[in-house]
Amino acid sequence: MPISRFIFFSAKHRFAHASNLLPRFGSSKRIQSCGYTKSAKNNYYKKPTGHPVVNVETQASRSSGAYIIPPILLGFGGLLAFLHYNDERRAVKIGKDSYTGSDTAAAPIIGGPFTLVNSENQIVNEQDFLGNWVLLYFGYTSSPDIGPDQVRIMAKAIDTLESKENLKVLPVFVTIDPQRDTPAQLRAYLKEFDPRIVGLGGPVSAVRQMAQEYRVYFKKVEEEGDDYLVESSHSMYLIDPKMKVVRCFGVEYNAEQLSKEILKELKKHQVNA
Amino acid sequence: MSLEAYASAKQDEIHTDVLLQARQACYKARDAFYSCLEKHSDKKPTEIGSVGLLYPTECKPSREDYVKNCRVSWVKHFDRQYCKTKRTQRLLDDKETRRGV
Repeated sequence: MPISRFIFFSAKHRFAHASNLLPRFGSSKRIQSCGYTKSAKNNYYKKPTGHPVVNVETQASRSSGAYIIPPILLGFGGLLAFLHYNDERRAVKIGKDSYTGSDTAAAPIIGGPFTLVNSENQIVNEQDFLGNWVLLYFGYTSSPDIGPDQVRIMAKAIDTLESKENLKVLPVFVTIDPQRDTPAQLRAYLKEFDPRIVGLGGPVSAVRQMAQEYRVYFKKVEEEGDDYLVESSHSMYLIDPKMKVVRCFGVEYNAEQLSKEILKELKKHQVNA
Repeated sequence: MSLEAYASAKQDEIHTDVLLQARQACYKARDAFYSCLEKHSDKKPTEIGSVGLLYPTECKPSREDYVKNCRVSWVKHFDRQYCKTKRTQRLLDDKETRRGV
């Protein structure tokens, strides 16, 4: 009996912190009470019968419980420490500027090389546009209302920029309906808006590849033989002279807003360059 | 199909019904038809157009004019748009008196 009590006592001392943290462990309360009673020698001798039974019980459950709890706690603490370290590592420190460019958002890289046929039946690729600011629109000639409106807005914005600010931006119209929009069709269509607009078409595979690079969605709908509409995200892309997509404009921009925004982007680029 | 082959083929077909003049004519006919619909909105619609658009017999000639001047896909597109605006208009105006289209 004394031996068991000794072991129990040492066990209790070793895992005292555990017992403090887990009050729900009923046994710990009993142990503590036992401990308190043990220190007072009077009480200890007063209840000799209750002790051993309680001691053994609590000791048995205590030791097995005590062996599991601290590793769990250590593991949990380790996990918290790891998460904290991970957060610190991943957080961008305030004040540390790692971007030198004007755009601060890490966006996916839109754009890429392409090879298409222009309205003069010449083969054109993206190298031909290097050195120019380009306003690119993906549309098709058979669009009922949105297409013509967008091309008109584009033409007007380009015109405003050239006449008022003397800034040359090249408008490019890429057809997402290459099967019906032949070079001649593009020429006839775009001529009515502005002679500066470059029309690009080509085989379906080439157009599809370019649309994929520029993340443009397009789909044939309402198909009745040769008569169909093409659903697409009618947006214009502003591309800088290095062929990098700077900005995307949706249908909500009218001509003045568009020219103002383009001007802003150009000025920003000049400051940074 | 290589690029060169594409560039040389199909040179002469131009769809003139999407060029400026045709578009203007189409928009004019469309607006005439829709204003006819507005004018006779109290009459019971008995004719059926495309995509579920109903119109009264009084507007039959303007409807024919509209369909003649525009492509079928355009007619459907404009009709659908018109129905949608009518529906939202109805929702905004009537609040609870009507249900359905």
